[in-house]
Amino acid sequence: MRSRITLYITLGALTGSAVSLHAQDRGGTGKAVYEKSCALCHAAGIAGAPKLGDAGEWSARLRAGIATLYRSAVAGTPNGMPAKGGNLSLSGAEVRAAVDYMVRSAGGAPKSSAVPGGKRATASARGAAKPAAGNPAQIGAAPASKPARETPTPTVVAAAPSGTPAQAAIDPNAFNRLLAPPGGRNPPPAEDGIHDPGNPGIHALQPPLESFQRLPRANAGNRVNWVAALGKKQIQPRWDLGDPQAEPSAMDLNIVREVKGSMPDVVYPHRQHTEWLDCSNCHPAIFVPQKGANQISMAAILLGQKCGVCHGKVAFPVSECRLCHSRKKDAPASSTAAVPAAEARK
Amino acid sequence: MSRKTMTRRRLIRICVTLAFALAAFPAPAEYADVVLNKRSEKEGVRPVVFSHWFHRIRFRCKVCHFELGFKMRAGANDVLMADIIDGKFCGMCHNNNIAWGADRCDLCHSGRPGLKSGIYGGHQTLGPGRW
Repeated sequence: MRSRITLYITLGALTGSAVSLHAQDRGGTGKAVYEKSCALCHAAGIAGAPKLGDAGEWSARLRAGIATLYRSAVAGTPNGMPAKGGNLSLSGAEVRAAVDYMVRSAGGAPKSSAVPGGKRATASARGAAKPAAGNPAQIGAAPASKPARETPTPTVVAAAPSGTPAQAAIDPNAFNRLLAPPGGRNPPPAEDGIHDPGNPGIHALQPPLESFQRLPRANAGNRVNWVAALGKKQIQPRWDLGDPQAEPSAMDLNIVREVKGSMPDVVYPHRQHTEWLDCSNCHPAIFVPQKGANQISMAAILLGQKCGVCHGKVAFPVSECRLCHSRKKDAPASSTAAVPAAEARK
Repeated sequence: MSRKTMTRRRLIRICVTLAFALAAFPAPAEYADVVLNKRSEKEGVRPVVFSHWFHRIRFRCKVCHFELGFKMRAGANDVLMADIIDGKFCGMCHNNNIAWGADRCDLCHSGRPGLKSGIYGGHQTLGPGRW
């Protein structure tokens, strides 16, 4: 690998003028795009954006490889990065050029070896617009990751080899192209933004995905259907601290709450709740155990009262309307016992 | 309308906008992770990160929120290290018997310095739970 890198550095030096012209051109595009679309957040570090020139923040993000960084920049991330920095008129290549510019300004070098299928991607660091000072590794993995030798015209579009995830993410006809990539969900503790990456202890903590991939999936929250996981006995949480054999005495009583408007009525199943909770967790402080005594509204729930004490914080969130609003208005009254939500979630 | 009400209304509007902005950029943390930093940093240790997901795989909600006496409201529980070592709250399990003991500081005190207490991970409801 090293000899190959040396070879390409030599080749890069041979094709010196063309490469440096190209790299400067690329650096220029990146800078222009940065100033136009990225500086708003990345200059001051707004909304968690890594600041321009902050080597620490950028190197942490570069660890997953430049392809991942490109993908995050183009498709956006759930951490706050909007797709293409919020300027959807940019091309994928322009976004990547801006990423390269910011990475270079932080003294880092896009790890070309991290680009899948990009083994040949290398160029002359000497020709880069802003060579990083004091980073000898940069010579090996140069900022402008481009197979310079093989492209006669220095077009920026050819920067990433076709077929990389970065390329796939920016396909204008891709399905759900603006949605956050599923790979960004359930990050390990070191990347979740609240654990201190400098703390050696977090490597002993279990990454969520290791556990979740065996459990039934859901569309929100932890993206785990906890009720189904419990129902299928894929998890065996203890009911009693000291007695692993203790079983809950689930109460099978559905409460139907008719709601105004066109939303389906709410079916509240005691069973799913009493498998997790004690009666006194909800009664009487949150819900008065008496028919008609509780005024519940979505407004109250959104304010964290009533169902909102748990739902939206630890139980499935309020975006999953139909898990509660599960009984059609025109259903006959006798269907109270047959609970679609309860059955579906079992 | 008096000047005072105007100012107050503007303030409310700013708060609402901010709330929406926060909701638009959820922390990447796992849903229902809780950061406890009422005392940690004042005492010179990292904030505590409590993961609901990890614990609910092993215990039903009722064990902690009924047997152990944790109130279901972030910020309502005053948990002191002395209590934990005495076998209360976290110390009911974190005793080197059921789970790691209180000597493994950095496994619980694992949060980023400067984090505020509260629920992380893209919660959708507000109220007392947000501290």
